[in-house]
Amino acid sequence: MDTLPDAFPSQGRSAAPFASASQSTSNQGFPAPTENTEPAPRIKVHDPPKFDLESYIANYVGRTRFNRLYLIGTTSTVLSTEALKLAIAEAKSGKDVGRYEKAVRALAEVAPTEPEATLDTAWVQKVQRQVQAQSERLEQELRGYKNNLIKESIRMGNEDIGNHYYETGDLVAASKAYTRMRDYCTTPNHIASMLFKLVNVSVERGDWLAVQSNVHRLRTAQSKPEDQQKNQPKVSAALGLAQMHSGAYLDAANSFLATDMSLSDTFNEVLTANDVAVYGGLCAMASMDRETLQRRVLDNGLFRNFLELEPQIRRAVAFFCNSKFRPCLDILESYRTDYLLDLHLQRHVSDLYHSIRTKAIKQYLVPFSRVTLASMATIFAPEVIGGEAQPTSVSSPFVQEIIQLIQKGVLEARLDLEKNVLVSNKSDLRTEVQEQALESLRAFNQEAHLRILRASVLQAGLEVRDAEAEKRMRKQQGPPGRASERLARGATRA
Amino acid sequence: MSVLEGLRAQSAQLHEALRNTDAAYDQQIRQHVASLREAVSAKYLGDLARDESLLDHIDPTADSLLYLYILRAQIEIFQEESRQSLPAVLLPTGWLWPKIVSYLKSFNPVQSRYVGEEWRQVVELVAQIAQASSQPLLAARVIRDAMLRLDPSCTVLTSTHLVLVRLCLRARAYSCALPVLDKYVCHFPSSQPGAGAGFAPFLCASHDSSLSFVTEKSGLSAKLTYKDHLQYYLYGGMIYMALKQWTKAIHFLQIVISMPTTGSVSMIMVEAYKKWILANLLEKGKLPSTTNLMVTSHSRVYQSLAKPYVSLAQAFESGDLKRIEEEIEAARDVWRADHNLGLVSQVHCAYIKHMVERVKKTFAALTVDELLRQSPSMQVSNQVTESTIASLIMSGAVSATLVQPSDPTKSTMVRFTESRSSIRLVHEREVQLSLAREGQALRTLSKSLGDLDSQLGLSNEVIDSLKRSQAWTAVGEPRPGTSEDAGVDMDEDLMGEDA
Repeated sequence: MDTLPDAFPSQGRSAAPFASASQSTSNQGFPAPTENTEPAPRIKVHDPPKFDLESYIANYVGRTRFNRLYLIGTTSTVLSTEALKLAIAEAKSGKDVGRYEKAVRALAEVAPTEPEATLDTAWVQKVQRQVQAQSERLEQELRGYKNNLIKESIRMGNEDIGNHYYETGDLVAASKAYTRMRDYCTTPNHIASMLFKLVNVSVERGDWLAVQSNVHRLRTAQSKPEDQQKNQPKVSAALGLAQMHSGAYLDAANSFLATDMSLSDTFNEVLTANDVAVYGGLCAMASMDRETLQRRVLDNGLFRNFLELEPQIRRAVAFFCNSKFRPCLDILESYRTDYLLDLHLQRHVSDLYHSIRTKAIKQYLVPFSRVTLASMATIFAPEVIGGEAQPTSVSSPFVQEIIQLIQKGVLEARLDLEKNVLVSNKSDLRTEVQEQALESLRAFNQEAHLRILRASVLQAGLEVRDAEAEKRMRKQQGPPGRASERLARGATRA
Repeated sequence: MSVLEGLRAQSAQLHEALRNTDAAYDQQIRQHVASLREAVSAKYLGDLARDESLLDHIDPTADSLLYLYILRAQIEIFQEESRQSLPAVLLPTGWLWPKIVSYLKSFNPVQSRYVGEEWRQVVELVAQIAQASSQPLLAARVIRDAMLRLDPSCTVLTSTHLVLVRLCLRARAYSCALPVLDKYVCHFPSSQPGAGAGFAPFLCASHDSSLSFVTEKSGLSAKLTYKDHLQYYLYGGMIYMALKQWTKAIHFLQIVISMPTTGSVSMIMVEAYKKWILANLLEKGKLPSTTNLMVTSHSRVYQSLAKPYVSLAQAFESGDLKRIEEEIEAARDVWRADHNLGLVSQVHCAYIKHMVERVKKTFAALTVDELLRQSPSMQVSNQVTESTIASLIMSGAVSATLVQPSDPTKSTMVRFTESRSSIRLVHEREVQLSLAREGQALRTLSKSLGDLDSQLGLSNEVIDSLKRSQAWTAVGEPRPGTSEDAGVDMDEDLMGEDA
């Protein structure tokens, strides 16, 4: 399970001691959190984000706090020191030594002079000892429960072990322990809480298939209607997150849009209501057409509450629906930094933005039969206008982008480089249908002929044979034909 | 003389008999043929046969059989006298040639069914004469018309088909063979009489399907082997390629390469595979997957035997002009040895055409410079490209205009045009015609399918399985599928199986 492509590697206690690493000059021995899964260079953000780090991180609880801080620390050049310091403090308040070491290493890279950049070996050893002792004690207890065969005790024992491993960062062991609880759950509530724990662990491991399957189990679990009601927002949000990570933006948008406002801060160990608004809004813009956006997003009373939290998303969606693409793209562009610093959104920002932009271009072209490239460029590539002598020459990135879109078949248009306009393709439906009919008729005839002929050949016994077999057959049938016939045929063959 | 008069009288009676029932007509024709055979074999004609004007007095349409036998007798006499198979009188300059031609142009198709053997020998003789005098065109048209006269549907493959396509290839009169080639040949002369659907017992009756009179016994076709039908389709494909009717050519070649075999692959099939690759490149610009009728082991054999062709196709698909040129250059001897040099030399041009087509999808107008930049592998100068495009436009392969600017430093502009709207009406009529044509072909095919079905229903295999299934029901063993089903199963088996 832990070999899934986008799984966050759980460093756990298997990480080598920090001392040996600091001696080796670089961090070769310690892969960066995403390095062994994504060979692409790590995203670096140089602009300051719009949010305040302290208040941002205060929205979250649990292990996601560290993960978010660490991501900001390693991604943003502006906030790196501050975020990593907070991350170290966060790690030190817990029991996960691996995380602490990771954060210290990262800080040592950006700000070696900071006092936090040196490893607190005494603390590390103390915590490691504690963790070791705790694990042994819990395992011992569980064995005792198992001997007594009391279901509830075994379940709780497993849960304790799972929680313990989760806190210390051994996610594989944690999910194993939680899975073991399954057999000892007696009430629907137990099952639901177990499944939520599994969802949390899977989210942190980045195992989105597991998230989806657990969410599915949660939905089909036979709990009381009021419990169902209570769980719904978390379930939808988790499902949406998993779908977004697997690239199914439309499904993700639908899941986020179905999330109830009662989510508020109940799911803070994974995401907040603000996140739901941003993820849902972006996914919807990337995957829905204008009418659907208007109906499902803007006119959606349920989701409106979320959008209140992130007004810029609401404005962007509204601009998109009103075909004011420049302001829409401007808003998105100004928030790009923020979204790049988000734990879950980071990997999808460019994809989402790209598809929103493509959709906008497509939408922009709908009413026109021909558009000048210059007027398109003012909307979709304002930086080109004024920047270059020939804003719409073929070599400009904007025109190249359009060429690619045409070649991919996204845009039904062609470029006229003489007059610098984009001409939309006129489709002649009648001719097309005629040609298709003719083509299919032809193909059918040929196929039928091929098969009929084949059957005839088999029936007449005229299959292609080896030369030897042919001779033998002829001998059996006697000498072929009359002399005159042989003469005539021989002459024509010559 | 009296003999001739007698035969003439018989022939005249035959005219009268036309109004009688099929049975009586059949009877009379058979009698007539019998007496004709006797007369000619016993040399009753004697010196009369040398008479140049003898045949002038006989109408080849009305007294078709008589004309044929006298003609044969005369040919035989001259052959014996000169002790060679093609004496001078038979050559197109000789006096007998026009007589033969006039027979083939106006013989009675119904009566000729009774003398298939003799009819075929005349046709083959014509082919021989034309070849011997190196004037294959003379014979090609005559034979084609004779074939269509005898059997307007032409759905049964005979040895004459092969003679015709070979002559047309020799004569380079490719379009001459089209009326026959365009018919979907679906059958082979059957060994059982009355195989066609709607079986009529008499040869002279009007038959639904030519299957019922073109049989192995009729002599209208020589005994066919697998080589004959492979060659027919290979030559047919070559004729279509010469006419640049690529889709039909590809279809014919496809037939050859997917023929069922009992094991190994024939060299004819390999030749067809080579041409098939080239035809596909020229027409579609890519190598399509073969039909599912082809056995995978065969395609492996083909690919190993036609390596240069496969790598040329790969180069073409990779879109690298330089590689294509290298491949063409590297295997020049192979192309020459396979007689495919002409086709290969068109590959270069086809590539440029496909490249321009691709660019056309993206651009409505662009400079030649830009066009070159769109296809980085084209390492040729502006002028060359411009002239290539100009020739493409002139040949009608691409609809576009070239606009040369007054400023010589600027590059020429290529503007692609939609040619369709201007000739809308013409196009519409063309489409209508071809739809009607294909619809007709479909009807012919479905009729052929019915014929084949009944033919298969009469085959020994089906009857055996019927017997078996009846035996089972007699024993009382529960057996799924009634006797009718068994026949259908057999049919489906043959159609669907590719073994």
